[in-house]
Amino acid sequence: MNILEANNVTKRYAEHTALNDVSISIPKQSIFGLLGPNGAGKTTLIRIVNQIIMADEGEVLINGEKLDPKHIGVIGYLPEERGLYKKMKVGEQLMYLAQLKGLSNSEARKRIKFWLEKLGLSDWAGKKVEDLSKGMAQKIQFIATVLHEPELLILDEPFSGFDPVNANLIKDEIFELREKGATVIFSTHRMESVEQLCDHIALINKSQKILDGKKNDIRNSYKLNQYEVIFKGSLAESPSIKILNNSISELGLNKATIEAKNGESPNILLQELIGKIEVHSFIEIIPSINDIFISLVKGGQ
Amino acid sequence: MNKIFLVLKREYLTRVKKKSFLLATLLTPLVIPTIIFAIAYFATRDKDSGHDEIRVLDQSGYFENVFDVSGYDFTFVTGSLDDQKAKFDDEGAFGLLYIPELDLSDISVSRFEGFEFYSTTNPSFRTLESIERAMERRIEDLKLQRSGLDADVVANLQARVGLDTFNITETGEAKESNSGLSYAIGYGMGFLIYMFIFVYGGQIMQSVLDEKTSRIVEVIVSSVRPFQLMMGKVLGVGAVGFTQLLIWIVLIGGLSTLGLGILSGGNDVMMEAASQQMPQEAMSQQQEMAANIQGMIASVPVVKILLCFLFFFLGAYFLYGALYAAVGSAVDSLQDAQQFMFPIIIPIIVSIMAMFFVLEDPNGGLAVTLSMIPLTSPIIMMARIPFGVPDWQLALSMVLLIAGFVGTIYIAGRIYRIGILMYGVKVNWKVMKKWFTMKV
Repeated sequence: MNILEANNVTKRYAEHTALNDVSISIPKQSIFGLLGPNGAGKTTLIRIVNQIIMADEGEVLINGEKLDPKHIGVIGYLPEERGLYKKMKVGEQLMYLAQLKGLSNSEARKRIKFWLEKLGLSDWAGKKVEDLSKGMAQKIQFIATVLHEPELLILDEPFSGFDPVNANLIKDEIFELREKGATVIFSTHRMESVEQLCDHIALINKSQKILDGKKNDIRNSYKLNQYEVIFKGSLAESPSIKILNNSISELGLNKATIEAKNGESPNILLQELIGKIEVHSFIEIIPSINDIFISLVKGGQ
Repeated sequence: MNKIFLVLKREYLTRVKKKSFLLATLLTPLVIPTIIFAIAYFATRDKDSGHDEIRVLDQSGYFENVFDVSGYDFTFVTGSLDDQKAKFDDEGAFGLLYIPELDLSDISVSRFEGFEFYSTTNPSFRTLESIERAMERRIEDLKLQRSGLDADVVANLQARVGLDTFNITETGEAKESNSGLSYAIGYGMGFLIYMFIFVYGGQIMQSVLDEKTSRIVEVIVSSVRPFQLMMGKVLGVGAVGFTQLLIWIVLIGGLSTLGLGILSGGNDVMMEAASQQMPQEAMSQQQEMAANIQGMIASVPVVKILLCFLFFFLGAYFLYGALYAAVGSAVDSLQDAQQFMFPIIIPIIVSIMAMFFVLEDPNGGLAVTLSMIPLTSPIIMMARIPFGVPDWQLALSMVLLIAGFVGTIYIAGRIYRIGILMYGVKVNWKVMKKWFTMKV
């Protein structure tokens, strides 16, 4: 079951097309990485899902239903450009934002108390936002995003500006929410920062989706049959082995990147290598999402 | 609708709870009359205290004891004009009045020239006029004597006419009207709308700008439609202004009723005790004055004026409030807002300047035209209403104003929904037009 499906979504502005025929589907309870460089169209897609702007063509389905104002309560959105009312008290501010999402006064009060305690901010409920440190304000923003217990959490560049401690804290909270049934979309141009978090990804470049699917499937399918070998002795090319580069490892051993010319399995390669050299380490090189992205973009040009 | 109310509530409460609001609301009705009183007090006191000397070199000999101008002492000197001119300033006198020899033998001559006034700083217009009047009266008296007419007879021949004005109502009943009061009410209400647009329009703009610069706006519009946010804001800030206005009306109304009550003697025991010690004549004069004021107020259709004021006040506020919101959404800072403020301010300034002409001629072409155009009608119509406006004009103006503010809210809403999400865009009129036509 997909919580969100975007089918052939296109959005045009006067001078450029922000999204061109983009389709993605996001399975329930997944952590989905929406990846791509700045200006690729990620924020446009997110704004469409949040009903801030409307698609020119295509449709967006939430839990199989066409996007509708009632879905506002289903989504929790932390925009890239985010802030708080500086002159407002923390508690009042959270109450206001919760009510805008449709929460009742009493329910909101309960949850605000719960979350402030959980993140160690109870003493600050009566303080104005301008008196908070940046890290605290970020926590408040996160609380505001999750107060109404959204099924779908959309975080646009969530860790930009977060210090590492807060980033980890928020990551843990996000995983906990996922355990409870929430689906999370990370949108970011810093692919390495969320790569290990996501189980599904979509790559967007120049308004178009260029790749999507389960992260592990993608990485497996982009394997180049390359291995890093650390060894003693000397290695020469053979009908099945191509040496891409040679160097000395930190411990003074030889290090080489080799490629299986005909896609031989690692066992076959190892058997051959063991006969020739003393193998200290043999690791398959699996490309990172970033590498895949770069090779795809370069290949496309 | 519910969300508009939530936005409205936040805008309202955050403002009303501020100390500065409480202070401004309670002190303004006290401070403004105090300032006016203080200015009036010092203006009159200044004149009485420092008496400046004006020297008179009278070569005709007719003007002894003629001059009585408050704030000045007149001393008569002799000698040559050049001599006096050279020394009056050094000897501390304010000015020198030179009166040449006058030939009054031919009473048909009415133009007299050669009078001169010397001073180092310019005398006030009123001072000069008082001196001229005094000399004219003196010459008139002298000419009357020469012509052999008795001054008493001449005095008896003079006549004064006071015109009582009445307005015929639709029922044919004649009601006493009061142009002076109409002028004051028209001016006051027009000015109030003018002030309100400036103060609260600015607050709307500031509020939109704050949401943009604090970067909260995208969080908000993910749960509220931009139009709801804008309307909630306009209504919320308006409600603050309305609260303030209401408190002022109650306070000022209360204070002036108290004032009138004291003036007319009332039933207060204290007052009665005091009035017994008061000379009978003064008492009746004061009572008459209070009765006059109350009569004047009764001659004005208070309820109609108040209802019209409410309508035009709200209409003006919505119309301009939406425009201010649109400007706030389009720019990144207050400085950037200046260029877009200009075309909004122009019709307001035109209204307030035209209002003075309209008050002179409330049913003239200018007045009727400007009271129909939605951008100017609130101020101009309020200036006209106390003088009486034909019902069809009032109705047409109201319909046009409704159309006007619906129109500006529509335009502003379209600019607003795009503008609030745009950061760092160099905005000009072309960009704004593009936003207006853009699909969301």
